[in-house]
Amino acid sequence: MSVLLSGQLLAAALALASLYALVAMGLNLVYGTMRLLNIAHGEFVMLGGYVTYWSFTHLGISPLLSMLIAPALGACLGMLIYLVLFRRLLRSPKLAARVEANSLLIFFGVSVIFQNVMALLFTSTQRGYVYLDQVINIGNVAMTANRLILFGVASSACLLCLAFFRYTRAGSAVRAVIQQRDASALVGIDIDRLNIMVFALGFALAALAGVLVSMVQEITPFIGFPFTISAFVIITLGGLGNLFGSLLGALLLAAVEVYGTAIISSSFRSILVYGVFIAVLLVKPEGLLGRAVVAR
Amino acid sequence: MKRLLLAAIFAAALPHLASAEDPIKIGYAISKTGPFAPAAQTQLNAYQLWADKVAADGGIDVGGVKRPVQFVVYDDQSDFGKAPAIYEKLITSDKVDLLLAPWGTPFHFSIVGILEKYHFPVVGNSAASTTIRDVKPGNIWFTTSAIPDHLASELVKMMKSAGVKTVAINTLQLPFSQEFKKYLMPAIEKDGGFKVVVNEEYAPDTKDMTATLTKIKQAAPDAILSLSYPPDSVLFMKQERELGINAPFQLVLIGPTDHFFSKIFGSNLDGTITMGHWSPAQAKWPKAKPFYDAYFKKFNEPPDYLDSALAWMSIEVLEQAVKKVGLDKDKLRQEIASDTFDTINGPVKFNGVENVTTPTMYLQFQKGEAQIIWPASEETAKMIKKPAWSQN
Repeated sequence: MSVLLSGQLLAAALALASLYALVAMGLNLVYGTMRLLNIAHGEFVMLGGYVTYWSFTHLGISPLLSMLIAPALGACLGMLIYLVLFRRLLRSPKLAARVEANSLLIFFGVSVIFQNVMALLFTSTQRGYVYLDQVINIGNVAMTANRLILFGVASSACLLCLAFFRYTRAGSAVRAVIQQRDASALVGIDIDRLNIMVFALGFALAALAGVLVSMVQEITPFIGFPFTISAFVIITLGGLGNLFGSLLGALLLAAVEVYGTAIISSSFRSILVYGVFIAVLLVKPEGLLGRAVVAR
Repeated sequence: MKRLLLAAIFAAALPHLASAEDPIKIGYAISKTGPFAPAAQTQLNAYQLWADKVAADGGIDVGGVKRPVQFVVYDDQSDFGKAPAIYEKLITSDKVDLLLAPWGTPFHFSIVGILEKYHFPVVGNSAASTTIRDVKPGNIWFTTSAIPDHLASELVKMMKSAGVKTVAINTLQLPFSQEFKKYLMPAIEKDGGFKVVVNEEYAPDTKDMTATLTKIKQAAPDAILSLSYPPDSVLFMKQERELGINAPFQLVLIGPTDHFFSKIFGSNLDGTITMGHWSPAQAKWPKAKPFYDAYFKKFNEPPDYLDSALAWMSIEVLEQAVKKVGLDKDKLRQEIASDTFDTINGPVKFNGVENVTTPTMYLQFQKGEAQIIWPASEETAKMIKKPAWSQN
């Protein structure tokens, strides 16, 4: 039992939760505002990781600096993808009706292309670098400095995002679109511009997560998919389109992974994770904080 | 007219001239994309190193005649369901003369049926399982000596000689590590001299091991056995270091021989024991060091002591057999099954499908180099206790 009360376990759960939350936040934004199923989300995490790895090992740029560079590149790439692939799709009412299925296919293509381009450029060899990996002891909790940074940066980025959507005009507009897409267009919100902004922000967050991931684990062109899956589980748990819900979902998933394996056994990890997932969907199909959708 | 005649004679002579230097076709499929691609890379590197060597030599010796080589390479996309169809295509449509093995145990097994159907010989490499002995001999052979039942019994002997009394085991839920454990637990029990203090398993997509490692730390065992694959081996070692778990005997099953571990862990890798039966430091294998050097020169990193070495061994066996008997499939099958081959891992001879000359060994990192520490007859260095993790 003493294992459960250890600060070490709590720290591990929080660090994992903050990373999950960051990845899920970007996915939730894009889904919430545009109903686009971005299954290439994890690939942007992967790209962020490669940008960091490459600039650190070849140009000597500190991963801390990459926390600005990679999200900026991610934002540009996100905007480009929106303008080239999705703008037309969202404008035509005919296509917009099928947007979820179409976006799934398009993002699947994007995902395959990114994975294979990276495999061509960098081969599939695992890549990693060592940066700030001394172990820091705080009380009886031991953690490497880079994991502490991961926790600090990921959780502040999530909180900043929440604050942005709560307290700024643009943020309110995004929330309005998430809640009532057609009505928000009627009251004069420029949806096209908003979409571009959300794409930029969503992919910047994914790239930032990639920077943090590369600091603590090894990267290959294929690390993205598990992140996409976790993020989908989280946003479904927390409520699709509900940004605070994705924080809650991330905490829940990380707690199940870390504490669940401490109580029962690591061999039940998947059963526990998907057990909780299915249980929540059975009891509250709209997710923990999701609003029940009224049939129209 | 005269010129025309000359040209005609020349043209008639051409196919004849060409036949001696007609390229032979060598085909294989390997996971270039998908989840296994990172693991397959070091084997693919060995194949590419050989392709360079063949091109530089102007070909390979086929029954006494040097012939250039043309490679036909496919990506199996990490899907062992696709491998049989690709190998069938290589045989029937690309009409290759020789085949190299795909990466990994399931892929080897998936093509056995095709090889039997066409009686096409393949020298396997990166596959290890006791179930290879169930494969009908004659079309495929396995160069590895890291078969789980031998590995398990040797590990128990090695732990005993190191004075281990208490053991913690953390096992990944994938076939090879599970098979290893299947043989290890009875071997530990039969010996009777050990107490298993932690015995945990985990799923492949585990992202955090703090819970299990905290239990191990509290139990403070003499030996920690991480029966893991490369990605989770890294996670295990990183979090072990974080928690400062310092057992004198630490085995990490698969991963440390990949160069990339030295890059991540540096001197912290020293003392880690891992599976493997090859080392460039072994003086009695004169081909070992030159292979290491050539690989290092091309890729600017050392070969994987497991997969790159195994891949190269399989090529050496095939090359020597082809040199002796040419491309006739039946003669090749007979030759591979009966002869002894000179490889970077010493002499290799098969009994059935299994390499019976190379003993089962273990490696340990010492001053950044993987040394053979077990068994005593093969050792290039004495086993040391794992030093405490440096946390800086």
